[in-house]
Amino acid sequence: MDPSLETIRQQIVQLLPRLRRYAIALAGSTADGDDLVQDTVERALKNLHAWEPGTRLDSWMFRIAKNRFIDNRRAAKRHPVSGSDVLEITDVAHDGARAMEARLSLRSVSEALQRLPEEQRHVVALVLVDGLSYRDAADLLEIPIGTLTSRISRARESLAQALGC
Amino acid sequence: MDENRETLNAFIDGELPPKEMERISALLASRPDLGEYVDRQEQLRASLRMESVLRAPVPERLLQTAKSAPASWRWQLRSRLARHPARWLLSAAATALAAGLIVGILTRPINDIVMSDGQMMAQGALRQILNTKLASARHASTGPQIGISFRDRTGSDCRTFKVGETAGLACHSSGNWVVRAVAASGPEAPGPYRMAGSEMPEAIRRLVEGSIVGAPYDAAAEARARAAGWSGQH
Repeated sequence: MDPSLETIRQQIVQLLPRLRRYAIALAGSTADGDDLVQDTVERALKNLHAWEPGTRLDSWMFRIAKNRFIDNRRAAKRHPVSGSDVLEITDVAHDGARAMEARLSLRSVSEALQRLPEEQRHVVALVLVDGLSYRDAADLLEIPIGTLTSRISRARESLAQALGC
Repeated sequence: MDENRETLNAFIDGELPPKEMERISALLASRPDLGEYVDRQEQLRASLRMESVLRAPVPERLLQTAKSAPASWRWQLRSRLARHPARWLLSAAATALAAGLIVGILTRPINDIVMSDGQMMAQGALRQILNTKLASARHASTGPQIGISFRDRTGSDCRTFKVGETAGLACHSSGNWVVRAVAASGPEAPGPYRMAGSEMPEAIRRLVEGSIVGAPYDAAAEARARAAGWSGQH
């Protein structure tokens, strides 16, 4: 049985932080990332009949976000990514226990991601940023798993170099 | 470094089979160079997790979009049909019927049907026509048309209708016309012809067949039903 619309809206609300993070990783700024999330959520609700109940709503929405990102990029014809478009997220719960994660600022991470070739960034955003399994990420991107692992390895090298890890 | 880079990365990502995970784990203990690589990569992963974004408050406009952006009308209809199967799926052909309905569902909403409390309700001109117009009274008006009127198994008065290229079935309940189903129909037939059974979309026809008791009302029975306010008491 289909969940109610209310239930789905709640599930989407719960997904928003993850979707935002994914969108920011792809788009390179909070402003562009949030625009992408808004576009994605509107699309998802409008096309809800295309979602198959019982399948994962998160994967379906990530896929919409990925496709919208690619479509918008095509439409904008490589408008330069604005490094000055600041990531103004301030860490509300930062403390010493989180020191390792915070060794690198969100901005430096984001800039390093933006310098990756787009095909690598898609893989990194799903696997390293969001934490999807190789299998789920390969399905979502519709690429063979071997392609995914080699893209991750290449991306890791560039990122380690860029971030001094 | 002799161990394959991709294997080490898969180890960091927890993507190796359990045996392999153990083997690499043991190997790292004896190989500081590999251990250092893994440590650095784990640090990288931790940074890439961008957890500050997860902890940051979600902008209000995104919350509002999730809570109130328009949702697929087709989905809501399908969901409603799936939720209350007993009310309308009365035959063994339930599944086939549902499939037919979903396929046949129109792509744009009709203004005269609104969702209320999870049910489709007739309003405006459609409601007016359902309340007042007799199927037997043929006249060449435009706007919503009535097909047949009948009593269903629950004792309610039901009527088929057609609005533009959409046909549907509505049954009277507590003063309202609850739309049980709608389906795409052919273009509106010009002239004074009422929607005969043969013009009804298959899905609606089967729904009628599955719920009708006796024959459709004749002109006299329909007039009595109207006089009784479609209460089923006539």
